[in-house]
Amino acid sequence: MADFFDINLLKAILRMATPLIFAAMGGLICERSGVMNIGLEGMMLTGAFVAVLGTYYLHNPWWGLLCALISGALVGLIHAFWSIGLRSDQIVTGTAINLLAAGITIFLCQRLWQQSGRSPQVETLPNVTSGVNVLVPIAFLLVPVVWYFLRTTKPGLRLMASGESPQAAESVGIAVDKLRYVAVMTSGMFAAAGGAYLSIGSLSLFTRDMTAGRGFIALAAVIFGNWMPIGTLGACLLFAGSQALQVQAQIKGIGISTDLLLALPYLLTLIALAGFVRNSRPPAGLGQHPTTH
Amino acid sequence: MTVRLTRRAFVGAAVAAPAVAALPISLQSVGAQDAGFTVTMVTDTAGLGDQNFNDLANAGGTQAAEDFGIEWKVLESVDIPAYVPNLTAGVEQGPLTVAVGFLLTDAVAQVAAQYPDAHFAIIDAAVEADNVQSVLYREQEAAFLGGVAAGLMTQTNKLGIIGGQRIPPVIRYEVGFRAGVEAVNPDAEIVIAYADDFGDPDKGKELALAQFADGADILFPIAGLTGVGAYSAISELNNPGEQWVIGVDVTQEHNAPGFEAFVVRKGVDTGVYQAIEQEVNGTFTAGVHSLGIAEGGVGFEDPNGRVPAEIMTEVETFQSMILDGSLVAPSTDEEYEVFEVPAAG
Repeated sequence: MADFFDINLLKAILRMATPLIFAAMGGLICERSGVMNIGLEGMMLTGAFVAVLGTYYLHNPWWGLLCALISGALVGLIHAFWSIGLRSDQIVTGTAINLLAAGITIFLCQRLWQQSGRSPQVETLPNVTSGVNVLVPIAFLLVPVVWYFLRTTKPGLRLMASGESPQAAESVGIAVDKLRYVAVMTSGMFAAAGGAYLSIGSLSLFTRDMTAGRGFIALAAVIFGNWMPIGTLGACLLFAGSQALQVQAQIKGIGISTDLLLALPYLLTLIALAGFVRNSRPPAGLGQHPTTH
Repeated sequence: MTVRLTRRAFVGAAVAAPAVAALPISLQSVGAQDAGFTVTMVTDTAGLGDQNFNDLANAGGTQAAEDFGIEWKVLESVDIPAYVPNLTAGVEQGPLTVAVGFLLTDAVAQVAAQYPDAHFAIIDAAVEADNVQSVLYREQEAAFLGGVAAGLMTQTNKLGIIGGQRIPPVIRYEVGFRAGVEAVNPDAEIVIAYADDFGDPDKGKELALAQFADGADILFPIAGLTGVGAYSAISELNNPGEQWVIGVDVTQEHNAPGFEAFVVRKGVDTGVYQAIEQEVNGTFTAGVHSLGIAEGGVGFEDPNGRVPAEIMTEVETFQSMILDGSLVAPSTDEEYEVFEVPAAG
């Protein structure tokens, strides 16, 4: 058992939590402002693709990351335009973003590189220490920043007010729609950073649907974390931890059926949700608009 | 009211656009204009670009299109519900539809029953119908030889297998490899880990890192795009000459130059090519077509000359035993349980 919990397991947990934290912080800001964001998966996938695209053409992964952030903000803008500007159903819009990202990334791979499922290899962002990419500490630093922003700054408090009661917020002069635009675009940037971690941080290429549901897991982490930054971080670590444990348990051969081990992250989630999230309370104004036009 | 309609139209377009983009009616068409007929390939959800299974099948079809002057079309399946409509679209295009992958088994059985006059070929699965040719590979034969080489090459006496999902072709690879290792090095430990996914390379990388950290020095990734992660892991660790990854189905050396020990080849292209050839010549037959080392369907290859000569001799010895039938590599868990290496001749 001594060599079961070692430094490699810890690093694996940190690595696996990184894309979840980025996307979950994005989802948290978006939902705190009162806009549902089921499109995190598509935003991550877009970020993963554009990070490789930017690195491929600009020959520098940092420029690739910047391109990914911009692309995330643009996808966020699409989501904001539909769900705030046009007041369409936010679930439908988010789903559309997921489908659009899945289709368009495959299409562009085919057009640009004549291979529909993956990109060529590109340079990656540096590691800060062996097995820990530079984006890993950045993800963890993002959590206190988001917490500080929401808890203590004026725009942060206004953003939360917009999410709790958009009508009341607007009646006291807060520009709810404008704040929400910024929040949704920021959420796109964060999610895209999570995708970029996968494609130019951990790996060095884009492959189709490489986010493999991490956007949805991040969304679950936001709910599980009760829309609080620290709680959400805890949820991300729990999901990543159970996945890392599952990997470790298979390799150390602890004599449990593989199928059971593969179900472990989901079982833990169910147990945790049933046990701890009795007092789950989403922002009261989630999905509501300030005034009815 | 107009605003409402516009809004709906926007959302409608948003949903429809990717659906159309993701279901290309004809992604590529190769072949002469005066082609006799069209052959359509339907991919599994992994789709083209896996630089592996589906791409190889496409290569076989493209080659056949050039050689026989037929038209070759590929339909990619975005999700499981797309299998049946894609296969049906294939039937409407021409006399032969090629389904690539075990995951399409049920869909092929269903569509083949609806169109008894159309011909189907399915790769990696057996469908019992009068109009379906089931092309099965004896992956275990090549994997066995891979196991022999890996079992003799390991310095740490520990090997890793990374699986996608435990479906029959993956099982054939897995048990064949294990039997090969045990035949030459019964003391070697084999660490097996499944990702439960063929399309998550980051998870593949984590599995590979964990296996290397655990002391394995040669990895056998049977996991499609998930397996690409093993190449990322090995180039990041960067211990050339000490850690290796085995190429599965086709070489992927370009993913981590210098780290691919050898290749356990599976000629998906051969199976597709032969099915089309038979259709062209009017010799299409239903039933199981089994392709092993003898038929050139699978094989052990060392394209970069990294397998030491004395180990290569061992591999060749076992290969001749497989060819003359004195050694039958196990293909299921049950066969693996009772498998014994025949006395070396």
